[in-house]
Amino acid sequence: MKNNKKVILKVLALSKNFGSVVALNNVNFEIYEDEIVGLVGDNGAGKSTLIKILSGNFPPDKGEVYFEGEKVNFKSPVESRLLGIETVYQDLSLCENLDPVSNLFVGREVYKKFLFFKILQKKEMERKTLEVLSKIDIHIPSVKEKVEYLSGGQRQAVSLSRFVAWGRRLVFLDEPTAALGVRETSKALDLIKRIRKEREVSIIFISHNLPQVFEIADRIIVLRHGEVVGIREKRFTNPDEIVSLITGAIHIKSIGQQ
Amino acid sequence: MELLKVQKANKIVRLVLNNIVWIILIFSVAGFSSTIKGYLSLGNYINIVYHSVFIGMLAIAESYCLISGNIDLSVESMAAFGAIASAWLCGASPFASGLKVNPFVGLLLVMSVGGAVGFINAFFILKMRIQPFLVTLSTFIVMRGLAVLLTGGKGISQITDSFQFVSMVKFLRMPLMVYIMFIFYIFFHFILEKTQFGKHVFIIGGNVNVAYNFGINVHERLFVVFVFSGVISAITGWLMTARASGATPAMASGFLFEVLAAVVIGGVSMIGGVGSLIGVFAGVLLLSSIRSALNILAISPFITEVIRGSLVLMAVVLDSVKRMFR
Repeated sequence: MKNNKKVILKVLALSKNFGSVVALNNVNFEIYEDEIVGLVGDNGAGKSTLIKILSGNFPPDKGEVYFEGEKVNFKSPVESRLLGIETVYQDLSLCENLDPVSNLFVGREVYKKFLFFKILQKKEMERKTLEVLSKIDIHIPSVKEKVEYLSGGQRQAVSLSRFVAWGRRLVFLDEPTAALGVRETSKALDLIKRIRKEREVSIIFISHNLPQVFEIADRIIVLRHGEVVGIREKRFTNPDEIVSLITGAIHIKSIGQQ
Repeated sequence: MELLKVQKANKIVRLVLNNIVWIILIFSVAGFSSTIKGYLSLGNYINIVYHSVFIGMLAIAESYCLISGNIDLSVESMAAFGAIASAWLCGASPFASGLKVNPFVGLLLVMSVGGAVGFINAFFILKMRIQPFLVTLSTFIVMRGLAVLLTGGKGISQITDSFQFVSMVKFLRMPLMVYIMFIFYIFFHFILEKTQFGKHVFIIGGNVNVAYNFGINVHERLFVVFVFSGVISAITGWLMTARASGATPAMASGFLFEVLAAVVIGGVSMIGGVGSLIGVFAGVLLLSSIRSALNILAISPFITEVIRGSLVLMAVVLDSVKRMFR
């Protein structure tokens, strides 16, 4: 099935050290158009580091990244975002002192120029925020309420709203369901599936929760100690095998094995 | 759904808490007016506003700095330097420069000095990564020193008529300076609430990592905030000289704490990201109306400080009470 799909992201021999700590070592993989990939691994396996490099938060020490066939070298998250790569970070990256509208539009405020003032178009931004939040289907009291007064799930919804609004080509979701209750989690997973169906977007989904990964991912990439120890298609694997890969019980470095 | 209900109820409580400065201000003025003889008069009310002009102007500068997650301690001595420098440039007495510069040229000159000081503050804070408190504490001391140095510690008691004129003009019984303050409040409130720049100031003050992550030019925005602060302080100094028909290097002493008090009472958080100039304006007026009451009652000025200090404490407590209503 994957042979007739275009590669959207290609990672070649990516390495990153923090001092003497090896965070990533010779990481190789490809992401295809319109697929959901689960990125799993134990704490400290390098998942977040990998995402931060790919979204331009910091550069790799070695290795190359190709996005839609072009070699890219992001110097900041802004550059990746311009190409349609959106990241929802684990720590939510919200401004708690501001409302969901401001949070959705951080750095992308809609404005009209008047003399040398950039006047915010609040109505338009509110309308878009309501539209996006209604898709997410998690209720919040008001789009003008400060995020600090929202519950964990509501905050997560605000965070996810960025992906719904701006994720065009490739989205990294770093533990997007961590703060959610059972019902909200299933809503969020439905949302991710729905968005993928609506537009041709590839999603890399980081999670500790294997049942969730098995529910939505097409393929699973397993990281261990900064190395890719397995890439599996969901159809040909099972949670037991993935757990063994995560913990190191199976030790085969056969990258790309089916 | 229970959650939504609780959140909606808390919203009403917060609405009251957020505007509580205005409520306190109205009750204070009403209380003073009904109990203190001579308080209830248009003249006194105008006086209250008139006497809040300088603190009010500096409070705008300080609010921007605090909302952006920084602090500017140099506003007071920058105002003092602005005052003595404009008197020195435009004054006529022996300790002045003798240049007798046109007061508006003088204003432009002290504004550029204020801008430069703001730039230097921002440079050390952003490029050398030094704490804003320490950087602006240094410029606070340096600018007061320069104010003393400029005239050898002497005051300048005479300024040209055209300069003095600024403080004489009145419309509808209100001095021109009051209108100048109003215009500053309206303008800077507009910038803070309605423009992209203002939104970025809030974002930077709320979570600077988000600002960097989402491509906001944090350094540029903060340079502007500090330059604003320096320029507003310089203008305030110039207005002080116009009103006093002269200046001394000791002018504006103690303003810093009054400014910080007004700003905090007005609902600006010292942590950054929270506040509005509407609240700050009420904070400024509240302090001024209390000062006026104590003046009329001829109460010992030492008690004034105790009352003011207690008000600041109350404001801080209020800030944490607000946090409880999530």
